[in-house]
Amino acid sequence: MSEERLSIIKVRDILMVTMPADPDDATVSALQERVLLAMERSTARGVVLDVSAVDSLDSFFARMIAETTRMVGLMGGRTVLTGIRPSVAITLTQLGLTLGKTRTALSVDRAFEILRDGSQQVQKP
Amino acid sequence: MTKSTEANTLERPSAANQAGAVLQTTAEHFRMLVDNMKDYAIIILDTSGRVASWNPGSETILGYRSSEIIGQHFSRFFPSEEVQRGKPEMELKVATAEGRSEDEGWRMKKDGSRFWSNQVITALRDQGGTLCGFGKVMRDLTERKRAEEKATLQAREIIEISTPVIQIWDGILMAPLVGTLDSERTQQLMERLLERIVETDSAVALLDVTGVPTIDTRTAQHLAETTTAVRLLGAQAVLTGVRPAIAQTLAHLGVDLGNITTRSTLAAGLRVALNLLNLQMVSGNGSGRKDAQ
Repeated sequence: MSEERLSIIKVRDILMVTMPADPDDATVSALQERVLLAMERSTARGVVLDVSAVDSLDSFFARMIAETTRMVGLMGGRTVLTGIRPSVAITLTQLGLTLGKTRTALSVDRAFEILRDGSQQVQKP
Repeated sequence: MTKSTEANTLERPSAANQAGAVLQTTAEHFRMLVDNMKDYAIIILDTSGRVASWNPGSETILGYRSSEIIGQHFSRFFPSEEVQRGKPEMELKVATAEGRSEDEGWRMKKDGSRFWSNQVITALRDQGGTLCGFGKVMRDLTERKRAEEKATLQAREIIEISTPVIQIWDGILMAPLVGTLDSERTQQLMERLLERIVETDSAVALLDVTGVPTIDTRTAQHLAETTTAVRLLGAQAVLTGVRPAIAQTLAHLGVDLGNITTRSTLAAGLRVALNLLNLQMVSGNGSGRKDAQ
């Protein structure tokens, strides 16, 4: 049941993943499997993970995000995390959970831009 | 009393006379002290809390003449909300049980205005231990209270003023830091900065430490935390105003600022910010820029 609360939509070649407001551990675990599965099926170029509804993010969730980012990377895609609230950012920082090298964006719009312009950005000086 | 002492000790009249005189002068001195004390209201209450004696200081502080207040209950010095809470009875109860009761709070003058008062109530007991009444000493500390309130308010204002977050360009925020950065200030700065980043949808935040005299390990860590939090939101922080002295300290402290872009001047930082925005906002054909606006 909790898995259904997680929404994964494919927009062109990008997977748009939206986390529910108060995700339990089962939902967080489902995130990784479903995202990787969707990556395989759809040959998407990247993942936008929107956590704007989430008002508390624990260490398990943080580790799962960092892990999933790495796994998506191994499958040839990029992950952009978006919608972290200021209060959540402060808590994460204080707990030392910096989400590794996960790319972040201020808004879904920008996240899409980052993924779309990814190749062009590399070519710039 | 003096007379009976004289009669019983005829052999040593001079000593007795002297003692009596001393007693009398002491009592007189005390009366003079009470009468001349203008800064303290010294009031005697009977056991039920009615005013039995009233010194000129009381008149100065509370505004009642002794003729109009003697026999009245002392609860009229309390604001109505305190009376409802049973404060006057409470004071007498504590003084009866423990011998004294001290308190600070707003009290009422005759004209209805309030003053901040420090008061001590002492239970007056005779030698047998029977309660005869209460002595109440009040002081008007309104000015001190106001000064304290003002100081607290100013301290809060200074903290707020000292951590402004300014939008200096579309998508660029700047936080000029002035003075010593302690944990409280850095925490406040972090909260403000993050909120403003979300509000203004700014991709770059310049933290300018030109006005910060010295940086220690903790401050450096706070700054590193702030930049991490900024990154989590999807924006980037640039530390500017790193003067030679600050650069030396940071290098010696061995604080890891590896992920943070730093520049020596605000101008250089602004250039970095503009570059970052160009990379993000102007796509290959320039349509990205138009979309953003």
